[in-house]
Amino acid sequence: MGVSALRTENLSKRYGRLLALDNLTLDVAAGEVFGFLGPNGAGKSTTIRLLLGLARPTSGRARIFDTDAADVAAAHRRLAYVPADVALWQRMTGAEVLDLLARIGPGTDTAYRDELIQRFALDVSKPAGTYSTGNRQKVALIAAFATRAPLLVLDEPTSGLDPLMELQFRQAVGVARDNGQTVFLSSHQLAEVEAVCDRVGILRAGQLVEVASVAQLRRLHHTEVAATFTGTPPDLTGVLGVDGLHEDGPAAVRFTLNGSPAAALRALADADVATIVVREQSLEEIFLAYYGQSPR
Amino acid sequence: MTATATPATRPQPAMRGLAVRQVRRGAVVVTAVCAGMSALVVVGYRADALDPAAVAALARNPAIRTLFGDPVALDQAGGFTVWRTGTVLAVVLGVWAMLAATRITRGEEDAGRWGLLLSGRVTLAEAVRHHLGVLAVVPVLVGAATAAAMIAAGAESTGSVLHGTGLAAVGLFFVAVGGVGAQLFSSRSAANGAAAAVLVVGLLMRMVGDGVPALAWLRWLSPFGLMALTRPFATGRGLPVVVLTCAALLLLALAGWLAARRDVGAGILATSDSRPARTALLGSVPAFAVRRTMRPLAAWSAGIGAYFLLLGLIARSMTEFLTGNPQFAAMAAQAGFPALGTVEGYAATMFTLLAVPVGVFVSVRLAATAADENARRLTLVLAAPVTRLRLLAAEATIAGCAALLLITLSGLAMWAGTAIVHAGLGAADALAGAWNVAPIMVLCLGAGVLALGWRPRTVAAVGALPAAGGFVWQVIADSVDAPAWVRALSPFAHLAAVPATAPAWRAAAVMAGIAAAGVVAGSIGYRRRDLCT
Repeated sequence: MGVSALRTENLSKRYGRLLALDNLTLDVAAGEVFGFLGPNGAGKSTTIRLLLGLARPTSGRARIFDTDAADVAAAHRRLAYVPADVALWQRMTGAEVLDLLARIGPGTDTAYRDELIQRFALDVSKPAGTYSTGNRQKVALIAAFATRAPLLVLDEPTSGLDPLMELQFRQAVGVARDNGQTVFLSSHQLAEVEAVCDRVGILRAGQLVEVASVAQLRRLHHTEVAATFTGTPPDLTGVLGVDGLHEDGPAAVRFTLNGSPAAALRALADADVATIVVREQSLEEIFLAYYGQSPR
Repeated sequence: MTATATPATRPQPAMRGLAVRQVRRGAVVVTAVCAGMSALVVVGYRADALDPAAVAALARNPAIRTLFGDPVALDQAGGFTVWRTGTVLAVVLGVWAMLAATRITRGEEDAGRWGLLLSGRVTLAEAVRHHLGVLAVVPVLVGAATAAAMIAAGAESTGSVLHGTGLAAVGLFFVAVGGVGAQLFSSRSAANGAAAAVLVVGLLMRMVGDGVPALAWLRWLSPFGLMALTRPFATGRGLPVVVLTCAALLLLALAGWLAARRDVGAGILATSDSRPARTALLGSVPAFAVRRTMRPLAAWSAGIGAYFLLLGLIARSMTEFLTGNPQFAAMAAQAGFPALGTVEGYAATMFTLLAVPVGVFVSVRLAATAADENARRLTLVLAAPVTRLRLLAAEATIAGCAALLLITLSGLAMWAGTAIVHAGLGAADALAGAWNVAPIMVLCLGAGVLALGWRPRTVAAVGALPAAGGFVWQVIADSVDAPAWVRALSPFAHLAAVPATAPAWRAAAVMAGIAAAGVVAGSIGYRRRDLCT
């Protein structure tokens, strides 16, 4: 494996009696667009606060490229961040905030910043006190994308954006990917994750339950099969890979397939199949299954 | 059918309950301070050797009247208490009332918490009215407790009740001022600034009105002046307090009326719309700290500068009076104001008072840093390659430098005042006197940084403790003749009377050392703790 843009080793964070993050070991390669998913309270924002050195880990460690995340003077030269909840000084205009962030930040491509201001249609001459949630988020997004920092950490960056701006966001992520930047994207928008991410990690109750590419996730998961027969349906009990067998009347069955379909297909072939529908689960159903399942 | 859900009741009691939760702790503290201090001074009063001719001379002196208010009925424990504590307690209650009013209305709205509240059946105007209504009860309680405490301590009852009523009316007035400010401006800091300006102008009008007979009518325009005009324990007039209460009620009604005429989150006065970017002082973390400090520094400088200019203007009258009436010089010395007879002694005593607002200024600036962190405004700054220590160092250094500037300006203002009346105070002496309070300011800075590192919610209170707490401690210790070691707990006990005497370098070094320890311990905490982001 190549260079890691972001790596955690047994990272844990405890708030009093609550274990917010439990032994997270994660490796995001440089140049990758990584989706970080999980229900509310799963520990996504805690992870990001630890990565940014805003909170101190109870145990374990986090690294940004080859520096410790706690060494923010070095680590933050190579990253830019968009918080979930952007708060700005009320009397400063958008342009002033962008100017401040550019001058104390890791270096900014001002030409690209001006282009982003146009694309996101942000009126930067207004004081931040007059901005909506979405407009405040645009300020942080423009500042982050304009840095060209090798790592972008985005915490639910599009929750306040309309669909047109969401499209701009996806384009900006695409540009970042083409530039070789790494994107760490925490999000609830599954369509967005599916559209932009190479790999996803799923966090539940402080634990990482899955890390896989979107395609792998689909493959790993059940396929729903519904079949009707002209004659008597075959007995599929005990056939390898068949789960949740259900009879829909005298001549129809439904079941889910896990892993290789070969054994089930052989069993079906021996009977007189009238119709067969094979449906892959949507990504949403896959995530819902993860979100709802008990911790391992 | 049985209902399992909570039945829909009237929302107003729940909202008042919310308001009570937000003010109860402060209400208890401010009530205890007002009632406790009044009772202590009544108990500590000794009517020995007050010659009526000397009292008459005191009452005639414009400087005494400017500084302490009209001295009336000093031959009674109650009258003396009103003269000694009335203005101070009115200011304490007024400041608390206006800050609480903006905090529970505009502050909650600013933080977005009222969005949820107002999505229910409550309108914005109702929310404002009920919150201010709950807060308005507090000054009434403070007034009642103060009157009761004074009567219990042995003061005459009619006068005590009148004094308590006056105090309550001032508190009510500032609840209303804070409430109106919160409707006019769309940010809590602007509302606080406007209310503080009303308070400072009111105080200066009272001082000028008391000191200059031709301008005595000014007192009718100032809440503090109206409170003084009631003259408890002497002629006892009710009219001024009626005027003040009516003004307060009108302002409260105005706040409710304005609240019904604006959008949630907006102010009556429109916020400035589009404007070109002002990019000065955005280049680095320290520069940005300077940028955020300039506006508050200007406001504080105007208020404190005007006060010390006035103190300078009355310097000559004051010192001449005390030289001519040694009996009062001795009395003033006993009350904690020694050596008022020379202009240097007078300046030294007055500069001691400077430690309080400057200490409060420093703690308020550090509290602003804590508030920026708590409101997540610092998150984007800390996501840049900026270490926490660098941020803390910049914020604390700029706050300290701004406070030193404030001290210097106050010294110059006092010097200018004395120069106008030819009181004979040298500029170097004035600056030395002002700079003499720097160790207490540094102590506040140390306490504030310590709090920022370990208990960020307490920065304002802990930071102001050495100055405001130390001052009150010394006043009480002097009033009750406390043993020396009790007095010594206040940093004010260790200030030399500069420029009348040489600075107490050793005490200053000790205070600086304690402050440095606070800064180091606070920095360690700030580096180690999780940020509220």
